[in-house]
Amino acid sequence: MIWQLFLTAVKALVLILALLFAFAYITWIMRRGLARFQVRLGPNRVGPFGLLQPIADAVKAIFKEDITVERADRVLYWLAPLIAFTFALAAFAAIPVGPDGWVVANLDMGVLYVFAVSELAVYGIFLAGWASGSKYPLMGGLRSIAALVGYELALGMAILPVVLMTGSLNLQDIVAWQQKHGYLILWQFPAFLVYFVASLAEMSRTPFDFAEAEQELVAGFHTEYASMKFVSFYIAELLHWITGSALMATLFLGGWAAPFGLPEVPVLWLFLKWAIFIFLVLWIWASWFRTRYDQMIRFAWGVLLPAATVWFLITAYYVAKGGAL
Amino acid sequence: MIVFNLLAGALLLLTGFLSVYLRNAVHAALALAANFVVMGTVYMVLQARFLGWVQIIVYAGAIMVLFVFVIMLLYAAQAEVGVDPLPWMRRAAAGVALAGFLALAYAFSAARSALGDKAATALLQGGTARVLGPVLWDEWRYPVMLVAALLFVATVAAVALLRPGRGTA
Repeated sequence: MIWQLFLTAVKALVLILALLFAFAYITWIMRRGLARFQVRLGPNRVGPFGLLQPIADAVKAIFKEDITVERADRVLYWLAPLIAFTFALAAFAAIPVGPDGWVVANLDMGVLYVFAVSELAVYGIFLAGWASGSKYPLMGGLRSIAALVGYELALGMAILPVVLMTGSLNLQDIVAWQQKHGYLILWQFPAFLVYFVASLAEMSRTPFDFAEAEQELVAGFHTEYASMKFVSFYIAELLHWITGSALMATLFLGGWAAPFGLPEVPVLWLFLKWAIFIFLVLWIWASWFRTRYDQMIRFAWGVLLPAATVWFLITAYYVAKGGAL
Repeated sequence: MIVFNLLAGALLLLTGFLSVYLRNAVHAALALAANFVVMGTVYMVLQARFLGWVQIIVYAGAIMVLFVFVIMLLYAAQAEVGVDPLPWMRRAAAGVALAGFLALAYAFSAARSALGDKAATALLQGGTARVLGPVLWDEWRYPVMLVAALLFVATVAAVALLRPGRGTA
């Protein structure tokens, strides 16, 4: 019992450190990548290829003045970045990076866990918007709730066929099923499409990054935040990107399982598949426009949800007829 | 286990009281959300894991929509609540809540003596979706369908009421 607890704590610590390291270098990849797409260089002065840039940024952020605006609701203003950061960090815990022991918490309802935690993270965003006592952040916060209500439904509907086919809510079982029957992206391509689009909104990435939308809302929900509080939101946001990509790789691309009969190496294969999704999101980010807010809500309710529902019914029929499994 | 029970009970009571007595509507809604999350963890510890996660996803998520209502309805005037227009209502509600609590306590103690501790745990089997599904969709098929029909009717009615260019608006 004690040993189990200790082991879990160590795993959690390793995961947290890995995630924070991944965050630091995803900022570098993001800035260099976006620069490439826009035919410029990006940060290349601090260290070789600008590789020490994240450290310089961190030092800069720590030494900035921590401002609290006068009309802010002080307790919630302080609490909001904490909520956003904590839940963003916690969401990864159920995603397996290798066989058996290679997961912090092998939950029998891993899919629901990731859902619940990433939903609670939206509290941080909304409270930040509300507690700032300023109009643009409030609008950003309200938009994030509207997106949650719209896209979470489509996201859930797109996961249901996956759960139906694999017959489990456990992410390890879903990976094991894919090892045996082939990747779910082949079985469930329509579900994957809906899931991918909906999770772009869930991660608030282009074309659905309207909670911050700098042309309309200054910087959205974190307009009034500075210093490490701002960095907490920044970390939370990029962690959603990291976790969301890992979850997509796990649900549809076989997770940690090695492709083409190659040798099993924990972490490595998930990392490579994860990188595919990180790049895809970055690619869309660099080349797409931001949709108008009302259009995207209409799209969520009018296109994504019905499409996901129809596909869910088709899959349910197929599974009931004794296909899959 | 005892520590968890005491802590969870204290947190539930605290957040419950806060959600009633805080004067700022957003703070109160947040306390209610915290209450639901703690309730979810209690369900999980009591071997009803699926219910626990659903509690967090559905109920704590629904509070989010409550925030929107608070801001849409109250923000223009004041987020803080003024003098209570119906003071006797509080005492009446407290009485009803107490009666309900006593009734529930009686029901649970009766059920517990009928089942026994071990039987309840064996019956729940961890409360996973695999255990819960057959019960819901076989034994309680018709109630589930009735609830679904009810929700569907409510949705259609809401859409019909909100259709522009009809009636008063």
